[in-house]
Amino acid sequence: MASDTSGAATSSVADLKLQFAPFSSALEAGFWHQLTQKKLNDYRLDESPKCIKGYYYNGDPVGLPTRLTLEFSAFDADGPTPAHCCPAIGTLYNTNTLDAFKTSDKKALLEKESKEIWDDIQSGAALKDPSILSRFILLTFADLKKYHFYYWFCFPALCFPEAIKIIQQPSVLEQVFSAKQIAALQEAYDDLAIKRETSAVPYFLMKYTDDTVQLAPLGDWDTFFTDTKKVTVGVYDPCTLSQHPGWPLRNLLILLAYQWGSKLDTVEVLCFRDRTLQGSRSIQHSLIFQVKLPELPNNSACPKSVGWEKNPKGAMGPRMVNLSECMDPKRLAESSVDLNLKLMRWRLVPSLDLDKVVSTKCLLLGAGTLGCNVARTLMGWGVRHITFVDNANISYSNPVRQPLYEFEDCLGGGKSKAMAAVDRLNKIFPGVISKGYNMSIPMPGHPVSFSPATQAQAQRDVEQLEKLISEHDVVFLLMDTRESRWLPTVIAGSKRKLVMNAALGFDTFVVMRHGLKQPPVSQNVSAGADSSPSCSSASSSSSTPAGSAPSVPASSLFSNIPGHKLGCYFCNDVVAPGDSTRDRTLDQQCTVSRPGLAMIAGALAVEMMVSILQHSEGGYAVASSSDDRMNEPPTSLGLVPHQIRGFLARFDNVLPASLAFDKCTACSPTSTNGRSEPQVAVWLVVSSIVNCWSTNVYEQGGGK
Amino acid sequence: MTQVSTGSEADCMEETFHHCCQLLLQQSEQLRDGWSWESVQGSQVGYLKKTVLRSVDINLSSVWDQVGSSSDSGSHSVCHQQQQEKSALVASYDADSIKEDITDDDGGFCAVSKDSRKVLQYEYHILYSCSYSTPVLYFRAFTLEGRSLSLEEVWSSVHPNFRIRLQNSPLNTITQQEHPLLGQPFFMLHPCKTEEFMRPVLQLAQDQNRPVNYVLTWLSVPSLTQQPQAKLMLQFFASHSQVAVPMRKLKKCRAP
Ligand SMILES: [Zn+2]
Repeated sequence: MASDTSGAATSSVADLKLQFAPFSSALEAGFWHQLTQKKLNDYRLDESPKCIKGYYYNGDPVGLPTRLTLEFSAFDADGPTPAHCCPAIGTLYNTNTLDAFKTSDKKALLEKESKEIWDDIQSGAALKDPSILSRFILLTFADLKKYHFYYWFCFPALCFPEAIKIIQQPSVLEQVFSAKQIAALQEAYDDLAIKRETSAVPYFLMKYTDDTVQLAPLGDWDTFFTDTKKVTVGVYDPCTLSQHPGWPLRNLLILLAYQWGSKLDTVEVLCFRDRTLQGSRSIQHSLIFQVKLPELPNNSACPKSVGWEKNPKGAMGPRMVNLSECMDPKRLAESSVDLNLKLMRWRLVPSLDLDKVVSTKCLLLGAGTLGCNVARTLMGWGVRHITFVDNANISYSNPVRQPLYEFEDCLGGGKSKAMAAVDRLNKIFPGVISKGYNMSIPMPGHPVSFSPATQAQAQRDVEQLEKLISEHDVVFLLMDTRESRWLPTVIAGSKRKLVMNAALGFDTFVVMRHGLKQPPVSQNVSAGADSSPSCSSASSSSSTPAGSAPSVPASSLFSNIPGHKLGCYFCNDVVAPGDSTRDRTLDQQCTVSRPGLAMIAGALAVEMMVSILQHSEGGYAVASSSDDRMNEPPTSLGLVPHQIRGFLARFDNVLPASLAFDKCTACSPTSTNGRSEPQVAVWLVVSSIVNCWSTNVYEQGGGK
Repeated sequence: MTQVSTGSEADCMEETFHHCCQLLLQQSEQLRDGWSWESVQGSQVGYLKKTVLRSVDINLSSVWDQVGSSSDSGSHSVCHQQQQEKSALVASYDADSIKEDITDDDGGFCAVSKDSRKVLQYEYHILYSCSYSTPVLYFRAFTLEGRSLSLEEVWSSVHPNFRIRLQNSPLNTITQQEHPLLGQPFFMLHPCKTEEFMRPVLQLAQDQNRPVNYVLTWLSVPSLTQQPQAKLMLQFFASHSQVAVPMRKLKKCRAP
């Protein structure tokens, strides 16, 4: 520790020279909050000096630096000082610009403050109230855009023209005083404090015999000391070093030299240290030593002064503290959200890998009832990257069911859903990284005119969709038609992206993950093995009438189907995607469902994704089924089903799993083959759409 | 769980809290262990406060990185941290670049100044929570520059053995909250288990016909307060069980 090294140096080379431990500035977190409030509400552009207050304490355990502390109450200069602490008066210079901070004349500020101390010494004011000897300057600039605070403290100390000679080396009080004297000193100090109506006395005079100790305030000098050959003064000493007094002694010695220098021979100094550990108080570790004061020059000019604090690198310079993390509301929101999630991990699911979830980039195709609810649940999980694709505008019926929109968003024809959803996400949580794409997803079977412009647009949309899918980790299919799910299913399949699919009936829903094909190298092997047809399940699809129920593959309760053999949304279609919005009534389009359904299905889609991400094999994980409900779950969060099919009428969910269909129009090798090259894929997909529109080639090819 | 209680019952509990605090402060003043009462200007509302300083031997940022990569908060947080460090570096360069003609001309009067960055200040506040009808602990830790630490940094400053004990404790739910009286960000020990924990303690005291200071008892639970002084507080409580709050009154107030 510094005490040892400096102590050694003192005894060997400069053993006769008194050195002081400077103050270290110590700021409580609340100080900066309060300065911010003052700047915004009171000071504004006012740069004039302000009176503030700090304090220091003489009861620290060894090892702590000698501090001058400012807390949030520092701006209340007349307010109380903490018990057993000494106040220090300060002058705050808060500049409006960094430039003003840089260019302010530090030398002049120090000289001005020192002159005031010197004037108080000369006028005798410091004798009456010696606490004004401990002053400080604080120069600040608050950059409230970045929450960067620049500051520089100065603890002015007047200097003797030459070194202060030590007559008797510092000793611990208990080596000099008897137990009786120490007890008497403690009692005398407490009496003096009571008399002064305070709990800490910064400076005092002292006389002692073998049994008694007398103390008096500084102003009583003339009546207290009859003989000034050797006087003893006490200083409330915040330093804990065993060889050095703290800073507050410096200006006192100047005062003594000015007032009585010619009469003084030796000055004995008691560095009064008073700490309480484990409920027991001690002062015997105080320091006592004797010095001879140099003479001050005869003229009454203010002595030279020092005091600007060094920065942490030990150089003369200001400090800067970056408080954006605890003051910037956006950063606070981020850390609170993260902390809440970590709590779940700490408290409930120790092996939860949050980063896998938080860092997942999610592409939401559809920003309607499902999209809104999926986005909100993703945010709850701390997911930062959320991208929306939707080509619809917000209509008057939307806000009550789609929790990212408000009435205002419907006015004037309605805002774009994708764009409005992004805006709302940023309002909910500015830490989100969200983008919106107001575009339609190319669908097979919708009649369009084959103008070159239309084809070019269709091609651009396909390219854009392909690019978006490439850039994300998980693709959510949340549209309200089944045809629009087809192309993303094909593209995401070829790129091995996890696809989460949610679809609603009137009171039924399906939430499923698509099977994740094995990487291209092993594709041929698996393609041959996947040919077994899926069995239809007794438990599920029979209960809902076709048309109002979402179309899902007939499910099997086969257990142990690995992720790469699981089916997709289209696997059990007997027909290729056609135009389901044509020739159908509204409820057949599945756009009217019980209002709670989208929230349930949207939330389940996200929760299922999170569970899959927790599995070591991710999308390749073996599908859990309803039968696994009693078994040891495969992840810390539980099961990783293939599908969740919900029946609101019965308030029941089942977890079917089904195999991929080898002639599926969306996921079979014939529909994804050869599309690993992106450009080829675009052309194939475009041309297949065009083909589809005219010849229904898929209906023929897939159904045979 | 106790919800917001109405009328005289709630007032009574809060009154009891204030009464307990006053008694605690009297004892604290005798022991000089640093608790003080901070009142919000112009009102009776306030809280107990204590600040504790500790030297920290460890290099915070390196420990933090270990915590991060070992699964606690992982890559995105670490990345975040690196960004902060980077921006802090840039910014401190900014502060350093301010050229000064002030010289360090102290003629050797100045003793070696110490590296102050390894000292942390811990601030504890005890407030009365109307919603839970219990005392609630708010805390934060900050550097001598006044920069508050993240919870990871706070954890990394806690001794590993103690950390494990705290993490396994069923009472240590911590959230980041605005201080209800100061409006500044603090960490809060969630009080939902307080009632559960306190009940047997209070029951025991009542069975033994012994008066009990609710706040003191609450403070004495190490996992509730997590202070370096937890031991001291236990001692404190043991030696001051004569601090009398009539148990019946407390009990009556707590009845639903
Ligand atoms: Zn399929």
